Amino acid sequence: MRLRPALGFGLLTVTALVLQTAVVPRLAIGRVSPDLLLIICVYLGLHRHSVGGALGAFTLGYLQDTFSGTVAGLNAFGMCLVFTTVYLTSRRLWVDNTVSKLVVVFLASVLKTAAVLVLIAIFLATEWNWRALLGYLLGDAVLTAACSPAVFALLSRARRAPVAEDAYA
Amino acid sequence: MLEFVRRNRVVLASGSLLLVALLLLSTGARNRQRLDPLSAILLEILRPAQTVGAAAMRSAQHGWRRYVALAGVQRENDLLQQRVHELEQQLGRIAEIEATAARLEQLLAFDAGLHLDGVPAQIIGRDSDPWAGALTINRGERSGVVKNMAVLSPQGVVGQTTAATAHSARVLLLTDHNSGIDAMVQRSRARGIVQGALDGGCVMKYVQRGEDIDVGDRIITSGLDGIFPKGVDIGTVTHVTRGTRGLLQVAEVKPSAAIDRLEEVLVVRGAPTASEPTP
Repeated sequence: MRLRPALGFGLLTVTALVLQTAVVPRLAIGRVSPDLLLIICVYLGLHRHSVGGALGAFTLGYLQDTFSGTVAGLNAFGMCLVFTTVYLTSRRLWVDNTVSKLVVVFLASVLKTAAVLVLIAIFLATEWNWRALLGYLLGDAVLTAACSPAVFALLSRARRAPVAEDAYA
Repeated sequence: MLEFVRRNRVVLASGSLLLVALLLLSTGARNRQRLDPLSAILLEILRPAQTVGAAAMRSAQHGWRRYVALAGVQRENDLLQQRVHELEQQLGRIAEIEATAARLEQLLAFDAGLHLDGVPAQIIGRDSDPWAGALTINRGERSGVVKNMAVLSPQGVVGQTTAATAHSARVLLLTDHNSGIDAMVQRSRARGIVQGALDGGCVMKYVQRGEDIDVGDRIITSGLDGIFPKGVDIGTVTHVTRGTRGLLQVAEVKPSAAIDRLEEVLVVRGAPTASEPTP
């Protein structure tokens, strides 16, 4: 990843983090809110087929853990899982139009939330209401998918470098 | 082997990072309260950006709430103004009803004082010709109103009917130059004829030169014309003209009834009484 796109990604990540921690909670409908960092993670999985992309996904998750006040590793695992899944999928399926990206983001959101919930169940043994969680899971996924076109557009601008410049390298 | 690693380095890196995440998680799960050093540094670095973001959001929300509140105040203001307008209209209507009721009460009291067969009528039209003095009232033959009936107000004589239809009648005013009412000076009982003048007032003509009439004298109906009951106020003498020659004198009379402002009148049906009414 070149310096300029990396700076752009960094800036967008920080912006998304600030939005996610300071702005989105105030606008959240009930407890449902979009996961902006996940969209960046999906973008990395689709367009950054490199170790840097994997590290980026881990960093996104780690940042999310840090700022969400949860145990470190929870979102980091979820983001890495999403990156890996999207990466493997995009190697076999052509995901380039808006609708397919929306679907990928929706499924990625569901996958990440499910993974996080499983990890919570295993490591933290917290009691919860599965029915309510399912509602949040789907609500979050829909909102995240709805926000993804705008975030993808910003990321594409920040990227500048040709698509998959270092992919399959 | 090296080729396998090179070809699958992304998957291997991802797998390694997944393991790191699990390791972090298992470590963190044992001591949930502890903040690792890297997280502490990240929190400190990004704190200003978070502060700015939160402040911007608070300002935006505050602005939005103020805007919504102002919009609410504007709506409330509109509603209150509309209500004030309605109440003002209602107040105007009530004041009008009160004034009408007072006038009608006065008219009925006057009617009762005269012991006459009177019918109250509303003025529904006025003559637009400035030289003529005529009114249209909303009572006609159906109400027993016919030609040559006295029309009075609580203040005094208004005029007499000159024509009647089924539901309306025409009233020739006291101030019209074609009118003529047999009158007398209340104090001295000097007689004459009150007619309208072109300036909107009246004059009392045909008063004999020797008769006692002076400024301030009250002029009343004599009852001899067969139309007006005796003793109804016509007006007050404002000026007396006595020529050096001739047998008669002329007095200018200011009508007692505020003819221009009348809204209701009393039409006297039947023959007038001979006795002077009590004021």
